[in-house]
Amino acid sequence: MSGRANKKFFYFGIAVALMIAILAPFLASPDPDGLESAAAGVVDESKLSDLEESGPVISSPMPDYSIEGMGKSGEVAAIAAGTLAVLAISFGFGKVFKKKA
Amino acid sequence: MHIPDSFIPLDHAIIYWVLALPFIIMSVKWAKNELDEMKVPILAALAAGIFAIQAMNIPIGMGTSGHMVGAALVAIVFGSPWAGVLVLTLVLLVQGFAFADGGITTMGANILNMGVVSGFVGYYTYSILRRGLSANIAAFAGAWLGLFISAITCTIQLWLAGTFPLVSGLIAMGTFHLIIGFIGEGLITSVAITAIAKSRPDLLEDDLNTRTERAETEAMA
Repeated sequence: MSGRANKKFFYFGIAVALMIAILAPFLASPDPDGLESAAAGVVDESKLSDLEESGPVISSPMPDYSIEGMGKSGEVAAIAAGTLAVLAISFGFGKVFKKKA
Repeated sequence: MHIPDSFIPLDHAIIYWVLALPFIIMSVKWAKNELDEMKVPILAALAAGIFAIQAMNIPIGMGTSGHMVGAALVAIVFGSPWAGVLVLTLVLLVQGFAFADGGITTMGANILNMGVVSGFVGYYTYSILRRGLSANIAAFAGAWLGLFISAITCTIQLWLAGTFPLVSGLIAMGTFHLIIGFIGEGLITSVAITAIAKSRPDLLEDDLNTRTERAETEAMA
């Protein structure tokens, strides 16, 4: 059963993940998430702007799942690239660290 | 619930990394002892799906949105909370380094909250409820509670950091994540587990309760 069926699950999973990657920039809510929204509500304004001004400690190639100057298509590309990166990293990790037969 | 770098001072952030490290090491040990080669594609597909769905923020009203975390789903499918810790660690690494979603210094805290707390609470709540309830209801409740408790843990870290006040922080974070947990975590996890149980019941066989049930059915036959 499992060898072929697992491959089917693998390809089906990739298809679903990439479909979400394509749809997310159009469907996802632009509202702040629970943590950001809570911060805006309970942290006083001057402190919050300090927190927001000191950005991440390292700069990322695609901050906020976007590629500069590419709009929605850049967001699709960024999320798809991340999805495939996670796929490759977890697959590679699994192959290296799997249970030894 | 990805904590950015600036929300937790460096000394606290290091402590959370130190606390997260043994869990990360144990999750690698889980792979070495339990991850069947045949199941590597399942792990990779789930990890990719979780990364993608974390980019899909669902509106919950009050000008707020939220997304699934996914540790409970992975833990239930693999029959171990360590699988959830492992997948969330890999997802958070990519999110932090490539997309500035969650800080690098605060990644330890994010792994503890979203990988360890939501994975363990989600999985063990599921396991306990599974003794008397169907898989979809147990998965819903486990995933929901796992997300809620991880939001509470996150709030306490932010309170200790001096970033959030305790009471209003708990109320705001708790309210938002009760709703996010209901839709974003509980419902999606439940639908996914139901779909897997229908199409690939063998995948859930690592689950202790399913195994017991099967043994009972076989004994009766």
